[in-house]
Amino acid sequence: MRLALLSFLLLAQPALANKVFVSNEKGNDITVLDSETLEVIATFPAGNRPRGITISPDGKELYVCASDDDTVRVFDTETYQETHTLPSGPDPELFVLHPSGNPLYIANEDDNLVTIVDVQTRRVLAEVPVGVEPEGMAISPDGAFVVNTSETTNMAHFIDTASSQIVANVLVDQRPRYAQFTADGKLLFVTAEIGGTVAVIDVATKEVVHKIGFQIPGVLPEAIQPVGLKITQDGSRVFVALGPANRVAVIDGTTFEVIDYLLVGQRVWQLAFTPDERLLFTTNGNSNDVSVIDVAAGKVIRSVPVGQQPWGIVVAPD
Amino acid sequence: MKRLLLAALLLSAPAIAGPSDDPSWPCIQRKQPHLSIGQLWPGPLPDDSAAELAQRSDIAALAQVLEQRRLSLPEAEAEIAAFAERASAEELTALFVAVFDRIDAYRSRIMSGVARYAEKQVTLSAQIEARRAELTRLSAAAEPDFDKLDAEEARLDWDVRIFTDRQSQLTYVCETPVILEQRAFALGRAIAAHLPATPIPAP
Repeated sequence: MRLALLSFLLLAQPALANKVFVSNEKGNDITVLDSETLEVIATFPAGNRPRGITISPDGKELYVCASDDDTVRVFDTETYQETHTLPSGPDPELFVLHPSGNPLYIANEDDNLVTIVDVQTRRVLAEVPVGVEPEGMAISPDGAFVVNTSETTNMAHFIDTASSQIVANVLVDQRPRYAQFTADGKLLFVTAEIGGTVAVIDVATKEVVHKIGFQIPGVLPEAIQPVGLKITQDGSRVFVALGPANRVAVIDGTTFEVIDYLLVGQRVWQLAFTPDERLLFTTNGNSNDVSVIDVAAGKVIRSVPVGQQPWGIVVAPD
Repeated sequence: MKRLLLAALLLSAPAIAGPSDDPSWPCIQRKQPHLSIGQLWPGPLPDDSAAELAQRSDIAALAQVLEQRRLSLPEAEAEIAAFAERASAEELTALFVAVFDRIDAYRSRIMSGVARYAEKQVTLSAQIEARRAELTRLSAAAEPDFDKLDAEEARLDWDVRIFTDRQSQLTYVCETPVILEQRAFALGRAIAAHLPATPIPAP
């Protein structure tokens, strides 16, 4: 324990501390952590049922899906004051920001739409009809495609960002929840919560090239529910939150083999790296804490209590 | 046209197996009949010797104390710390196994209770429907029997009241298995914190 702490202190370079923002679905607030001290530095209210959370590329604006308010709330990351809201359509759950910082693509679970919103003019640019219960959202690094996953239809829908039209639908396993492109834009990873798998899709051919399954000794298969997912910039490691299994799977990004299952907290939901990818944070909805994983060591180094039912998480850029 | 095509494509997709598939499970939380050790314990899976050691009277007695929800978590952590002072890794693992077995068994009993609760609600809702039909029938009669009508209406009022009361308690009822799982996890984490080279320090 002391050794782990010491090595952690040694690793903690005098780099910039980043703010880590956690949306607490039941607590209706946002917890702010310091990425160096791992201490809670602030908590502020965020409307009803805050879930999806993201930040502008300049780190100044925090966007929060206030699901039960049917709006996206925008906060100043210094003062924590709400500056304005964005139209989101009903029940916004997850969204993704264009790499340039505009527009914002929002999944509307209740009316089977993806709403595209200009964050400058605060207007809806387009609504794209997708599958039933849209959920996961991802954008390709070049901004050419937005991918939405629909929970009931079990598809990843590729939306051309130029025309706002669906150009491809890829069938995955039951209840796809989260999607992410690799940094080179070649692969798309999609988690399936009930299917218990992660589909690896070749972006060029729009075909599933591999399916990753999970088996944890001493964990019943139905407790393994892949949700949040994050890939390192170099594509060498993929981390998958396994929900009520309380574990994060560590996957080799080239062979797609599972290397380890790290025990974190209960109902692990979403993940976020620090910009230097030294640390990975997980939100644990039932144990009301955030686990901190040392990425290089592949070890859980700390758990930090946050608000009630932490759901989403984002780390401010440098 | 493109929209129509998509809609057709979407409709043809297979339906999912959601939580609503089990009519006897009324909770929004997904039904998970048993906890598994791997969800709560970071170390290697405890073997038969740990299960045997878990029966030892001092370990079983401590597990019984820890299981009680009236014992606050800081108090439980203090009990665990005191035990850990003279316990080996095997004994700590056995303590976790003893706690796990107790909480999981209790949680399973609670979950069957939740299912019975849901079945009673279904029966009651059918009874309410039947009473409503009867009321309609009675009041539609050429010469309504008002005494009978009043009596039936009173019975309906009671049924509806019981039904709504129970329904409003459902959130709490459904939370109970979750609360037990939280306690099992917190105790597991507190015990594991005393293992040598523990991967998860207690918060």
